[in-house]
Amino acid sequence: MAIRVGVRMSVCETRRLSDVGVMSFSRLFFVLLILSVFAVPLFVPAVFGVDGEDVAASAVDRAEAEVASAYEAVLDAEEAGADVSGLLDRLNVAGGYLAEAHVWFGLGDFDEAVRLADLCYGVVVDVSGEAFGLESEAHALGVTDSVVRMTGSMVGVVVVVFLGFVVWRVFKRRYSRRVLEMRPEVVSGGS
Amino acid sequence: MDLEDYRVLFFVVTLGLALVAASPALGVVVPFGGGSERFSELWLLGPWHMAEGYPFDVGVNETYGVFVGVGNHMGCSEYYVVCVKFRNSTQPLPDIDNSTPSALPPLYEYSFFVADGETWESRLTFGFEDVSLVGDVVFVGGVTINGVVFPVGSSAVWDSEYGGFYFQLFFELWRYDVTMQSFRYHNRFVGLWLNMTAS
Repeated sequence: MAIRVGVRMSVCETRRLSDVGVMSFSRLFFVLLILSVFAVPLFVPAVFGVDGEDVAASAVDRAEAEVASAYEAVLDAEEAGADVSGLLDRLNVAGGYLAEAHVWFGLGDFDEAVRLADLCYGVVVDVSGEAFGLESEAHALGVTDSVVRMTGSMVGVVVVVFLGFVVWRVFKRRYSRRVLEMRPEVVSGGS
Repeated sequence: MDLEDYRVLFFVVTLGLALVAASPALGVVVPFGGGSERFSELWLLGPWHMAEGYPFDVGVNETYGVFVGVGNHMGCSEYYVVCVKFRNSTQPLPDIDNSTPSALPPLYEYSFFVADGETWESRLTFGFEDVSLVGDVVFVGGVTINGVVFPVGSSAVWDSEYGGFYFQLFFELWRYDVTMQSFRYHNRFVGLWLNMTAS
């Protein structure tokens, strides 16, 4: 009897213990969940601030790289003989935005820095492509110009040499005739 | 002159005229010119756009103006940055001998492009905030440049030799180096000495 009672009691105890265990585990999980939500900002300090600075730095870096790339493209076009004054004007607008973006970034106003950096990027993003187009046109014109110059010079040299040769022949003939006319006459007989 | 002399004369004249006719083609093959010195200019003009009338005795709640300009004689278009910095008499200036800029951070900057043979100029306004005198030291809390306030936290001790509290607003010229793909200090700077009157 004691054994039966003991078994029954142990079964009851076991059932009660498991019921208590499930409830405790759920409660514990819920409490831990609440705590972790509130603890996240403590373990990741200034999460939103760091993100803002990173975004601004990334935007400014992107604008800087694009401006530098556009400038190099404009230089190549200028070297090829293209008229890049319009592109320089646009680069100057972009440069103004970029300088302001640097200033506001340094002062910690990251939203303004991002806005200005994006404006800069928007102005300069097509400049490289246009510069490349101008460079190609200038190269083509340059080749045509060189061919015209070389041809014109060759023709000019040939004409000058030919004329020189003709003028020399005419001069030589006249000179010889004049020299012959100046020879003293031979007269027969003497006094 | 006999015929042989005339022959030589004709040959020389014909050769000269042939060279003249060939010069356009020679210009394509042999680059002429380009031997002139390459340099950039940096200047500061007073509020009336002249080399005079520069601000010197300055105080708080006043706005002063100067013109900063750059000239390009480098043979091609250039990408410049002008950094505006503020110092007292003990802080470092750029080192001309070593071509190194001042270690001070820039407060303000201009970023612009100038074609060869052209110039760029801009008006800069500046002022001071939070200026206080403690004993023989003047403290400047902020410098306003083009309407933007920059905290500086700078101070200057009374200069008994020149009789004043001296600070300097100076401008460094930087140029984009295409080979290095970065800006390099172009060994040009101009500065404006300012005597702070804490009134």
